[in-house]
Amino acid sequence: MLKKIAIDQFSELVKALAERGPLYAPVKGKEGVVFQAIQNPADVTLDFYNTVLSPKSVFFPQSEDMIRYRITQGATEAQPVPQDSRPAVILGVRPCDVRSFEIMDRHFLGAGVIDPYWKSKRDNTTIIGYAFDVTAAADPADFYNTFGYGAADPEGSDVFMVRTDKTLLLKGMTDRGKKLLDSMGVLQAAGGPDEKVFEETVKKGKAVQTRSAKIDPQVIAKKLVSVFDNGEFWQKAAMACIACGACTYVCPTCYCFDISDETLFKEGSRKRFWDACTFTDFTLEASGHNPRPRIFQRYRQKVCHKYSYHVDKYGCISCVGCGRCTRVCPVNIDIFSIVDEANKL
Amino acid sequence: MENPYIPMPMNVVKITTEVDTNDIKTFRLTFVSKEDEEKFKYLPGQFGELSIYGKGESPIGIASSPTDPGYVEFTVQRTGTFVGGMVTTALHDLEEGALIGLRGPLGNAWPIDFLAGKNVVVVGGGFAFTTLRSLINYMIHGENRKRFGDITVVYGARTPGLLLYKDEMAAWQKRKDLVMHVTVDRGDASWKGREGFVPTVCKEVAPSSKNAVTVICGPPIMIKFTLPVFFDLGFSRENILTSLEMRMKCGIGKCGRCNVGNKYVCKDGPVFSLAQLEQLPRDY
Repeated sequence: MLKKIAIDQFSELVKALAERGPLYAPVKGKEGVVFQAIQNPADVTLDFYNTVLSPKSVFFPQSEDMIRYRITQGATEAQPVPQDSRPAVILGVRPCDVRSFEIMDRHFLGAGVIDPYWKSKRDNTTIIGYAFDVTAAADPADFYNTFGYGAADPEGSDVFMVRTDKTLLLKGMTDRGKKLLDSMGVLQAAGGPDEKVFEETVKKGKAVQTRSAKIDPQVIAKKLVSVFDNGEFWQKAAMACIACGACTYVCPTCYCFDISDETLFKEGSRKRFWDACTFTDFTLEASGHNPRPRIFQRYRQKVCHKYSYHVDKYGCISCVGCGRCTRVCPVNIDIFSIVDEANKL
Repeated sequence: MENPYIPMPMNVVKITTEVDTNDIKTFRLTFVSKEDEEKFKYLPGQFGELSIYGKGESPIGIASSPTDPGYVEFTVQRTGTFVGGMVTTALHDLEEGALIGLRGPLGNAWPIDFLAGKNVVVVGGGFAFTTLRSLINYMIHGENRKRFGDITVVYGARTPGLLLYKDEMAAWQKRKDLVMHVTVDRGDASWKGREGFVPTVCKEVAPSSKNAVTVICGPPIMIKFTLPVFFDLGFSRENILTSLEMRMKCGIGKCGRCNVGNKYVCKDGPVFSLAQLEQLPRDY
């Protein structure tokens, strides 16, 4: 099922989506385009290469209240924070980022205890993917081809959106996506020629080249563990690292979090928020012992977690090649080159 | 849907100061909700997250044995104020009757079925005796005792005043189905027992490795010197067990903090055999 809308009518679509429930979409901010909960439909932009921060914040906010409490003389009153279960939409997710959700699902939903916070938001959210511009070159930092993803792959999206000169084409990929499109009165039915444009864009997307390396998950998983004790390799790899954690904050598949209580005037909340394995105190124990006191040990943890431990645990590499960490790194560390080099050792 | 991050309310019914330095206390907790109590099924070696709102949570090994129903005990050391210790300090400030939170039981356990039918050598140093106490009480309880072979315990502390569970130890020493070797690094005027480091005592006691497993918990320096003693006695790496510690937050394998290689200490551990540990990168 394919639908369309003229680009100059885009804000009407945004308005209709926002009326339906919570809408998360790209908004131009001071530091670049990021996903935000939309209050004003005019804020939404489709003019960006990729967002500075990944879309993970929609399911896994940077800071999230789990329990609110009030400390009193007697017993402390505590209430779990109710989960927002309204059907939400996230609009404008690039194809490689869409794939990050499946990787995170394996961790939060697929093994052991199910994480209720990830689950409630994930279950209730319709994903509208958004093809890269297939006529333009990929950003030099990107390497999503490594994982077999194309610039216009609809896989994983409920609705996939392709932008042409004057039109937006929206195709329902899943039942949930089709239902959403059906309920949008602002959309028009698209015809045969539009179908052709859509299919051709997906095809052209396959030809957009990013950096790419032959990385077999099982092979790299073992390789990294075998070079774990190669201090020279890791110290060189992380020599410039200042442990700022920016790479983990922008990453669509970094899920490590901290849990902490914040109290002000006897009222507060137990929250969880993003943490970074590159931070000094990530593993600092109350005794003062720290198993990873040095930056190279922590950077090694980051690389090994994504390309080795995650493979052992969940069967896939925890990276989609979106290139954000490379673009954002203040000292030009590039995980792709490091993994590629380790692979060749 | 069940929310694994929400603690159960617990009553602090008894607080015992264990050591003469006053920084280790045992907290006996009972369940506020009968339903929570019925759901809380644990084995020796597991741990729980103790919670105090406004301070946070702390992962602590369970010191009581499931053979003592109705309550759970945690022995907690108050840690430094320099880098942490918010929760343990708050716990130490509590009085009996206080209400706190608990999540758990978490982690794996001492492998009871693996230990069954074997001689068990329990080696503990200092404060790291808590889940070993749980294991010993479990093994010597009533009908359970028949499931295990000889039980030998070597337990040491720096000084007599730092030995935990003194009354219980005295009772164990009177038992005929358990051999106790309690030692201190340095005795005092009233100390009539053994003096010497744990590795040395293990060497003197020289438990046979035949059909035997050793369970060792203690400070890294003690483990470092105790392991060679057990290698010399012929214990295989599969038959040497320990419990790891790492900084933890969630305790359920989600927050990504406590991994050693591809294992989360909170979920895949804390109990590992030496053979398993040697498979992991040296990152602890």
